[in-house]
Amino acid sequence: MSNLEDDLRIALRREEPAADFTERVLARLNQPAPAEPTWLERLAVLMRPPRLQWVAVAMIVSVVIPAATVEYRGERAKQQLLVAMRVTGTKLHQAQRKVVETGRMGTRL
Amino acid sequence: MKILGGLALFVLIGTAGYGQVLDLKGLEKLAAKASDVTDVTLDGSLLRLAAKFLSADDPDQAKVKKLVAELKGVYVKTYEFAHEGEYSESDIASIRSQLGAPGWSRIVGVKSKKDRDNTEIYLKTGGAEPGGLAIVCTNPKELVVVNIVGKIDLDELSELGDLGVPKIDIEKAKPAKPADKKDND
Repeated sequence: MSNLEDDLRIALRREEPAADFTERVLARLNQPAPAEPTWLERLAVLMRPPRLQWVAVAMIVSVVIPAATVEYRGERAKQQLLVAMRVTGTKLHQAQRKVVETGRMGTRL
Repeated sequence: MKILGGLALFVLIGTAGYGQVLDLKGLEKLAAKASDVTDVTLDGSLLRLAAKFLSADDPDQAKVKKLVAELKGVYVKTYEFAHEGEYSESDIASIRSQLGAPGWSRIVGVKSKKDRDNTEIYLKTGGAEPGGLAIVCTNPKELVVVNIVGKIDLDELSELGDLGVPKIDIEKAKPAKPADKKDND
């Protein structure tokens, strides 16, 4: 127990600051404020690794979303085209068939 | 002879030149009355995009790809109605009026009294070459209008078997005598 008290007393004992302490504090206070960063420095901040990840994500998204949109529009246009060709082909075929049937009827008469 | 003429035109029509786009906006009001509507509007840029998505490995899609290579537009409107009389001739009057303009020629007209179908096929002729295709099919419960702009081979179009159009051999079914029941010119 007495050892603990002794240890605490030693640890918490009063110590005088170094002789140059006041000088060093005053020197720090008198230092000029940091200058406003230039645009180049700001750009450099943006390009730091953690932000570069976000730029990469943005670039990927800006490529993937348009590509997916083109894919969707293309597939939709293809389906529409196939429907249009089917309708057109069917109507042409029906007209042809009727013309041929009429011809056959004429042959029988 | 009219039938023979029509058939000959059907068989001999090769390519058509660039035609005019029909104004089909007058039909849009029918969509509210129709039970089933198909509306396809593909201009040149969408056709080119669609063609890129057609598979060259699929024989029918390859045929379509070849067909659309020189097209400038495909416009199809079909309306199916639950009851007769939900559209009238006045609804398609503007289209008939456009097809009556110089340059358009009706190459086939088939009227069936039995089915009450009326199918008309028009070609757009511009200068030396014909251009564009229009089909107008009317039925008491159905209206179909097709407008294809650009070069098209009708024979190839009618051969799209896998798209629901079985091929028909016209040469083997040549008529010897025309019938007078149907109107074919």
